[in-house]
Amino acid sequence: MSLLQEEREIILNNEFVENFDFAEVEEFVRGADKELFISHHFAQKKKKMLVQPRGGFPTYEKQFALNEFFVNANVDVLPLTIDSNTRLNDYATAKKMLRLSEESGNDMLNGYPLVNHGYRTTRKMITHFNKPVSLRHGTPDARLLIETAIASGIFEIEGGPITYLLPYSKNFPLDKAFLYWKYVEKVCANYSKLNMPINRESFGPLTATLVPPAITIVIQLLEMLLSLEEGVKSFSVSFSQSGSMNQDIVMGAVLKKMAKFYAKEINCDDAKINLVYHQWMGAFPTNKKFSEQLISLATVIASMVGADKIITKTKQEASGIPTKEANAETVANTQYILGILNGLPNVVDEEEEENLTLTVKAIMEAVFNDEADTLWRKVFNSIKNGTIDVPFSPHIINHNEMITVRDANKNIRIIKRGNVPIPDRCFEYEKSKCDLTKDTTSIVNDIIHDIGIMQ
Amino acid sequence: MKVVTGVVGNDIHVVANRLIELSLNARGFEVFNLGVNTYLEEFFDAAVETGADVLLISSLNGEAEGWAREVKLLKSKYKTLDNLILVIGGNLVVGTALAEEIVPRYKNYGFDLVFHQVDLNTGLDTIEKYLKERKV
Repeated sequence: MSLLQEEREIILNNEFVENFDFAEVEEFVRGADKELFISHHFAQKKKKMLVQPRGGFPTYEKQFALNEFFVNANVDVLPLTIDSNTRLNDYATAKKMLRLSEESGNDMLNGYPLVNHGYRTTRKMITHFNKPVSLRHGTPDARLLIETAIASGIFEIEGGPITYLLPYSKNFPLDKAFLYWKYVEKVCANYSKLNMPINRESFGPLTATLVPPAITIVIQLLEMLLSLEEGVKSFSVSFSQSGSMNQDIVMGAVLKKMAKFYAKEINCDDAKINLVYHQWMGAFPTNKKFSEQLISLATVIASMVGADKIITKTKQEASGIPTKEANAETVANTQYILGILNGLPNVVDEEEEENLTLTVKAIMEAVFNDEADTLWRKVFNSIKNGTIDVPFSPHIINHNEMITVRDANKNIRIIKRGNVPIPDRCFEYEKSKCDLTKDTTSIVNDIIHDIGIMQ
Repeated sequence: MKVVTGVVGNDIHVVANRLIELSLNARGFEVFNLGVNTYLEEFFDAAVETGADVLLISSLNGEAEGWAREVKLLKSKYKTLDNLILVIGGNLVVGTALAEEIVPRYKNYGFDLVFHQVDLNTGLDTIEKYLKERKV
């Protein structure tokens, strides 16, 4: 028995898992309908941007009802968002809260406790709708969760060791996260050999708070490489609306080019790389009409960027977990806009692209030049020593030395680089776009304003 | 002047915490930032360890009140913290309440200065003025 299989048996031999049947699950994946695989939809010749909302309810019945609403609104990809107890591997609390939700009719969980429902039950729902499902979670140790997901017919797994840790956790050990995610990549890669590939997707928005494009791209590329090197054949890089249309277009162009370039560098250019765009992930206006406008604008930008998939928000974003009605309405509206957006102009900003490309390459080179023997250790060291620095990460390992502000056109610019090896020329370019004469008090006021730009 | 700061409890809202650190540094304070998700004992331990003059606790999700009730008791267990100035700010209740009700309540819990939904720089100006008056 391989080491991986030994580990899998330990993970799945868990009091919350009812007899995981490896052979049966393998047969299920081998014979699963291609419609369930988002990789199948990405591979279509006549391409349309896929629309995916967000959403997860604790009980089977409510999740089923949500999916019905989505399907009626012409959804392309169904989400399955997992509750926060499961994300922290606290299946006992999730189990209790699920029972309370079922008995009282009130939701006691902020998502679907997949491990507690189990794969036999969940698979019934997924095969009933016969749409691709994307697993949205935020789990540093997702080993049991993704085993259950794939066995249920969920063939897209979001997340990664960096993007699911640095924005969400203060002190979960980053090195452990890398090893747990290595398991996830291997399991996804192995299942991918049986039918269409399982798609992995990185979470580009990170903290969604003034993260500069170079940092977003570097982390997307590194999580992609960590995944491809384990044998994953379909991967989505992603980012969220930045607040500047031009910066989004530039970021999309550079990310696509660099992803192809680095995949080829490790001889993985047979893998399919997709681009995903998140509608605004920062603070929303409380005015629901304004929120609708913001969401529509994001859809237009996603089209300009050339995204393969868009992940939507709702007009209720500012006020808590959205209702299924509001969620379905966004899907229908987004599909409508995509249908009428024709004859888009081709916008290219060569100067910005060059500046961003040079910055990304310099940081990537610094990561690769770390003396550690494996890629994940190089990346770990690079985060630890501040070569990679994510603004507003709550994690203790993050350096927090980089400072970013918006320029007059609302582009996010780096005015303090910390240990991030941004080439002098590129750093001068960034700073040349900003007013550097301000004192810290007015910079702090600017940052507060720049974060709340859409409110 | 040394300040220990951080966000109390299981609160992970980090943005204001970083801005407080930036602003305090700019005003010439020596800042020891414990970050988000910090328990009360950690604050007092850090105050002892650094010899801080000011302890500045913040909260966004409002869970501060649950913790603040234990401040006096906990502080009395430390022998060297009699001169430590206690400040709390942010969003200090779950739900809504008036500042006129909240401020006296928190002063009762043992805080010298209380800022409920007060603008960052206004709050920091008040702290500086207070320190000057107390001649710290």
